[in-house]
Amino acid sequence: MKKIKITLDINDKPFEVFAAPNNTLLEVLRDELDLTGSKESCGEGVCGSCTVQMDGRPVRSCLTLALEARGCKIKTVEGLADGDELSDLQESFIDHGAVQCGFCTPGMLMSADALLKENPEPDEKTIRKALAGNICRCTGYAKIVEAVAHAGNPREHCPDCKTKE
Amino acid sequence: MSDYTIIGKRMPRVDSRAKVMGKAKFTADLKLPGMLVGKIKRSPHAHARILDIDTSKALALPGVKAVVTGKDTNGTKWGVFAYTRDQQFIQVEKARYIGDEVAGVAAVDEETALKALDLIEVEYEQLPAVFDPMEAMASKTELIHEDFPDNINVHVNIDTGNVDENFEKAYYVREDTFVAPEESYFQAEPYAVMARFDHEDCLEVFCPNGGPHMKSKPLSNAFKIPLHKVKIKKVAIGGAFGGRSEICPADYICALLAKKTGKPVKIEFTREENTIATRQGHAMITTHKTGVDKDGRVLARETTCYMDGGAYSSTGPIAASVPFLSMEQAYRMGSVRYNGYRVYTNKPIRGMIRVHGRGFAAGLDTQLDMIADHLGIDPVEIRLRNSRQPGDYTSTKSFVSSCAMDETILKAVKKSGFKEKWGKLPPFHGIGIGTNSVQTGFPMGIRGGSQSFIKFNEDGEATVMSGVVDNGQGNDNMLVQIAAEELGLLPEDIHLVSADTETTSSDPGSYSQVSTFVGGHAVKIAARNCREKLFKVAAKVLKVGPEKLAARNRLIFVKDDPEKSITIKKVVRISLLNFNSVNAEGGYWPEVDMKREWVKNPYGQMCEAFSFGTTIVEVKVDPETGKVDVLEVTAAQDVGYALNPLVLEGQFEGSVAMGGQGGMLTEYHEWKDGRCINPTMLDYKLPLACDMPKINNIIVESVDPKGPYGAKEAGMSIAMSAAQGYSAAVSNAIGVYMDSFPLTPDKILLAIKEKNEKNQS
Repeated sequence: MKKIKITLDINDKPFEVFAAPNNTLLEVLRDELDLTGSKESCGEGVCGSCTVQMDGRPVRSCLTLALEARGCKIKTVEGLADGDELSDLQESFIDHGAVQCGFCTPGMLMSADALLKENPEPDEKTIRKALAGNICRCTGYAKIVEAVAHAGNPREHCPDCKTKE
Repeated sequence: MSDYTIIGKRMPRVDSRAKVMGKAKFTADLKLPGMLVGKIKRSPHAHARILDIDTSKALALPGVKAVVTGKDTNGTKWGVFAYTRDQQFIQVEKARYIGDEVAGVAAVDEETALKALDLIEVEYEQLPAVFDPMEAMASKTELIHEDFPDNINVHVNIDTGNVDENFEKAYYVREDTFVAPEESYFQAEPYAVMARFDHEDCLEVFCPNGGPHMKSKPLSNAFKIPLHKVKIKKVAIGGAFGGRSEICPADYICALLAKKTGKPVKIEFTREENTIATRQGHAMITTHKTGVDKDGRVLARETTCYMDGGAYSSTGPIAASVPFLSMEQAYRMGSVRYNGYRVYTNKPIRGMIRVHGRGFAAGLDTQLDMIADHLGIDPVEIRLRNSRQPGDYTSTKSFVSSCAMDETILKAVKKSGFKEKWGKLPPFHGIGIGTNSVQTGFPMGIRGGSQSFIKFNEDGEATVMSGVVDNGQGNDNMLVQIAAEELGLLPEDIHLVSADTETTSSDPGSYSQVSTFVGGHAVKIAARNCREKLFKVAAKVLKVGPEKLAARNRLIFVKDDPEKSITIKKVVRISLLNFNSVNAEGGYWPEVDMKREWVKNPYGQMCEAFSFGTTIVEVKVDPETGKVDVLEVTAAQDVGYALNPLVLEGQFEGSVAMGGQGGMLTEYHEWKDGRCINPTMLDYKLPLACDMPKINNIIVESVDPKGPYGAKEAGMSIAMSAAQGYSAAVSNAIGVYMDSFPLTPDKILLAIKEKNEKNQS
């Protein structure tokens, strides 16, 4: 299929790429722009490993056509940190042991980040529901849920929360 | 309390930062200049003779750079053991399952490679196929492998003697059969491999590999090149769970395409391929016959298990033994006879999986509960009366040194309130307990040990080399923690080089739960040897004997006078000025019985340590829908010593998800004529965040005398016992002992209906 030139706004920077009408956003991110943080695990919109944000909303980049993403603000896992400074959520994932093999982590972070932007203090049930579209095979989710709950919101009783100076 | 500074602490993992930033590179993320896309053509037939393959049309397609078939191979058959060499990496004569490798293609892009696959014309003669082990053994049609009569791949027979006599003496004997179908790993990362031959004709391979040294040997054999020319490289691995230790035919096909084209080639599996063409868990039919005395102590047990092994051996002899071994480690038995048959069928290949033998283990514990019920003993008591004790020998003559099985039972019982709840819960509300034990290592011959090298750099920081693999469980962090502790450095001062066959010595790989016990141990010894060298130099400067020194926080200091100190950096530099570099090696080989062999001689010391675990589960069952709502899970494991409780808890929780929530409630494969009809994540039901119950983790420490800091296997005893705990809880809730797993709503509803009908009549 013939490729056309499009501009995508990714992590607050414009990127000009050539994309075919049937190219998914995930293919363009990974293959054209070398943004390989977003992963393909199931390729059919079930596992959530490819989750990115479009205008703050979590979407499956494996089911989103690159052309559909024009005019949206796209955010990927590579855009979560401010340079070397990690976001509270990223720090919390590390501190709470929420990362094991790490393959689902980028998608999980993007879903959780979108939730926290909308609801900075979600209860456990809300977190579990918001992450229900992200499959993790390693952790049993306990530490992920805890990391999201405590992100930027350290709890005194938690042995893994770092209180920021 | 210990005096360790880094060991035993809740230390966040060293690999997490790259992973949360999306910087960690998995195989599919890799790119090399000129790289081609590889694809594999697979058999659409379950059993078929390959009469002819015509690749001319595929080769003529613009953009296709190479096509390989069985004719391009030297026909070598691969197997984990000399007596199980039954698998070619590309089939030459016949295909034995739907998905068997028939040809490979390398092309400039994926679209072209896929088109080329369709243009390869394979002429098959279909053969009768068999899809279950009982049918396969009875079949009179063409054998799947001609040198394995009755399609029996492996038969493990263990007999301690006196079994029949002890059944005679038993007060109560019962025999029950339990079944469970296949399950799959569903690692988050689909399998992928990238290969190239470098300027020195060395083969470089990147793939999610659970055991680099287990992969390099078969590749060296297949290409007839020396081992030092096969470089299996380290790359982030998106989960393994037992399914990524062995060579994958795709590794060979990718390398062959790279050789033929002179270009790097990458093959990325689809999700379906990852399910069908890597490994699956065995389907099993298990009959346990158990005889007990009046107090419920097991006098005799006879277990017969038929395992659906699929088309090839894989780790057949190990697979046919491990469910039994876990049982014989967990429970004392007066005498036991085991017959395990791994049978070939025309289905995908089965290998080791985190909960190896869920039906076997859950069946055994269900039967124990039935016996307790009959004798009027509670489930906790009957387990305590039969539980493994330290100082015992197992039925197959392994000495058990550290063992806190009883402590795991008692602590889990207390935390879960089992005693208060047992027998007092309302209808359709139940509680159950499971206990299990896992090996810390298998006898692996020349690959049973690990060796580590450490070198200090002039800035006072160290590079540690080890063959240990991190599949995602945190082994890299474990090695860094150990090295930092022993060298007196901070974790960030350690650079780890691991899982790379070019730079690291042979290691068992992430296989047989032995990475900490053997690989971690080797790093500990190497670091101690390195520290001794540092102390020798520091002792001269500080004018005390080296035995008076300790190292911590980048300093070497006098233990009795900590103000007297010198930085490690300075010590390294003084040493260099005196013409000595600071480096050391260390190795660890577990003392196992090298004569022990899975089939020929299944007796003797299996490994140096065993872990023990108990899981208690509380559930509510909806009698209208058969849906199980898990309220709480309490998991306790004797891990020897907790090197990092934060990482350990993650292993426990993941084990509950895979072994219990998924393995016992939703996960199983369905088939039609040898075709798996639920190979994708859409159809195969994995546990989600909203499904998981609250999990209480209880770490029990028996401090193993041989393990590094007393550590041994951690996590898998929970995966196993979670399967048992879940099934026990559901059985308790509905008042029917279940014998077919997983416990899906249809089975639960049927059991309730049959029970009601029985009660009415």
